[in-house]
Amino acid sequence: MDRSLFRITRSGWAGLALAAFAIVILPSISSRFWLSVFTSAGCFTIAIAGVAFMYARLGMVSLTQVGLMGVGGWVALRLNYAFDFPFEVNMALAALTTMVFGWILALPALRMRGLYLALVTLMAAGGLEIIFATFQFPNGGDGFWGVQTGSGEAFRRPWIAQSPEAYLRYVIACAVLGFLLIELHRRLQPGRAWALIRRSEAAAMAAGVNVTLYKTWAFGIAGLLGGGAGALLAGSLGLLDDGTFRASESVLVFALAVVGGARYWQGAVVAALLYKVLPPLLNNWGVDADLAYIIFGAGLLHAVITAPDGIAGQIMGAVKGLSRRKERADA
Amino acid sequence: MLEISSITVRFGGVVALNDVSARFDKPVNGIIGPNGAGKTTLMNVLSGFVQPSGGSVSRDGQDLLRLAPHRRAHWGLRRSFQKEEIADDLTVFENVLVQIDNSRTPMAEKRAEVERMLDLVGMAGRAGKIGADLSGFERRLTDVAKCMVGKPRVVMFDEPAGGMSVDESRELGALIRRIHAATGAQTLVIDHDVELIREVCEDTLVLDFGRRIAFGPTADVLADPKVKAAYLGTEEV
Ligand SMILES: Nc1ncnc2c1ncn2[C@@H]1O[C@H](COP(=O)(O)OP(=O)(O)OP(=O)(O)O)[C@@H](O)[C@H]1O
Ligand SMILES: [Mg+2]
Repeated sequence: MDRSLFRITRSGWAGLALAAFAIVILPSISSRFWLSVFTSAGCFTIAIAGVAFMYARLGMVSLTQVGLMGVGGWVALRLNYAFDFPFEVNMALAALTTMVFGWILALPALRMRGLYLALVTLMAAGGLEIIFATFQFPNGGDGFWGVQTGSGEAFRRPWIAQSPEAYLRYVIACAVLGFLLIELHRRLQPGRAWALIRRSEAAAMAAGVNVTLYKTWAFGIAGLLGGGAGALLAGSLGLLDDGTFRASESVLVFALAVVGGARYWQGAVVAALLYKVLPPLLNNWGVDADLAYIIFGAGLLHAVITAPDGIAGQIMGAVKGLSRRKERADA
Repeated sequence: MLEISSITVRFGGVVALNDVSARFDKPVNGIIGPNGAGKTTLMNVLSGFVQPSGGSVSRDGQDLLRLAPHRRAHWGLRRSFQKEEIADDLTVFENVLVQIDNSRTPMAEKRAEVERMLDLVGMAGRAGKIGADLSGFERRLTDVAKCMVGKPRVVMFDEPAGGMSVDESRELGALIRRIHAATGAQTLVIDHDVELIREVCEDTLVLDFGRRIAFGPTADVLADPKVKAAYLGTEEV
C-alpha cells in the first residue's frame, strides 16, 4: 500500500477541522429554520462536489447534476414507502441506481466533447424535469409511482439522526465521506488516468488508459454523489417537490461550482452556501432574495475573467502567499 | 522485427501515406522527411489514432492494426509525442506509473520498475516533482522513462529533440541508444535534426509527399541523391 494514500494535506486538515466545527457547533447555534437551510446546503455540497469533480478532473461539463439528485431522491422515497429498509439501505440503493443512471448518460455523452457534451447533459436534465413534473415524487400512494393527494406518512430518517440537529450532523458526515471518496480516487489509478485524459486523450490512450472506461467511471461517481445527495435531501424535507430539480437548477449549480472553484473541496462548500444559504440570508436582511442571482452572475463573470480556479482558488492562493511571506520573515 | 506493409492513408483529397512499406529490424530506426511528408501520420497509424485505408502492421506475429489504441499500449507499444504529454498535476513518478497501471504485477514491483527507469534517465532525484514545475527537458526525460516501463516492444519518438539545446539533444540521443539494451524494445525516431538521426539510428526510412523514397542504413540513405533533392530548399542535410 502507498504511504501517500493516507497522507492528510493541509487543505485536508482544514476540511476536517471545518467539518468538526460544523458537526459540534453549528447545530447547537442554529434555529429550526437555519438547521433546515444548512442541511440542504450540506446535501447540495455533496452533489456539487460531483459536478465539480467531473469538471476539474476531466474538463467535462455536466448540466444534469440536480436532475440526478432528483433520481436519487425518487428512488429513496420509492424504496422508503415500498419496503421497511433502514435509511442507509435506501440511500445506498438510491446512490447506486443513480450511478447506473450516470453510466447510461455517459453512453451518448462520451461521443461528444465540450459544448456538445454540455448540451446532451442539459437535454437529459430537461427530460428528467418533465418526468418529475409529470409523475411527481412518491409520498406513500399506491402503484409504481406511489403518489397520493394529501401528505402521506413521513419519510424515515436514519435511526441515529432523528432530530434536525442530528440530521445536520449526519449530512455533514456524509459530505466528508463524499469528499474522501473523490480524494481516494484522485490518488489512485483512476486519478492518474483522469489527469492524463484531461491533458490529452491521445496521450492517455498511448499510455494504455481505457478512455471510455474512465470517463464512464467519472460519470458514475458524479451520479453516485448526486443520488446520495438526493436521498439525503429527501430525508431532510420528508418529501420532494419537482420544482427543486428543474434543469435550470442544474445549470445554476454547475455555474456556482465554477464560481466556487471546481478543483478544491472549498469550492463545493462555497457554491452550496451561495446557492442555499445566501438567498435566505438576503431575505433575513430584508433584501429581495433575487439579488442572489445578480451576485451569482457577477461571481461567474469574475470567475471567467479573473479567477479560473474560483473563489476557493483565490483563498488558497492568498493562504499560500501568506505562508510564503511568513517563511521569508522567519528565515 | 516490425513490418509495415503497403500502408495507405488518405485525408479527403490528401494522400498522407502512399503504399509505404518497411521492415524495421534494427534496435534504433529513424524516419525522416520534409514537413508534411507523413511521418507523424505513420506513427498515428501505429498508435491506432489514424485508420489506414489499406495495408498491415505486424510485430512478433501480432497484427497491430486489430488492437484498440490502449490495447496496443498494453501489448508493448510506447509513444512519445511531438509535444511531451506530461500531466501537470501528477508527479514525475505518477506520470510514469500511469503507463503500467493496468498491468497485474504487484504494486511493489511496479514502483521498483518506475524508480529504476527514472534512475536510468536521471530523474530519480526529482521523482516527487509535480509536472507543472518541470522544464521542457525534464518533461522529455520523464516521457522517456514512461516509454521504458512495462516491458515495451516498440518505442516511438516524434521529434523528441525539438526545441532542445545541442547538449540536451546529445544527451537525449545517448538515452535513446540505451533503450534497447535496457528493455529489449525496438525504437523508431522521427526528427528533423539529421545529426541526431545519424548518431542514433542504424536504419532510416525517408518519406516525401507520403511516399517512401529511401530506406536502409542511415549513412547510405543520407548520401542518397534522391534524399538530398527532397530536402533541398526545405531543410539542410
Ligand atoms: N488529421 C488530419 N486531417 C487532415 N489532414 C491531415 C491530418 N493529419 C495530417 N494531415 C495531412 O497529412 C500530411 C502529412 O502530415 P504529417 O503530420 O504526417 O507530416 P509530418 O511528416 O509529421 O510533418 P512535420 O515534419 O511537419 O511534423 C500533411 O499534408 C497534413 O496536412
Ligand atoms: Mg509531424
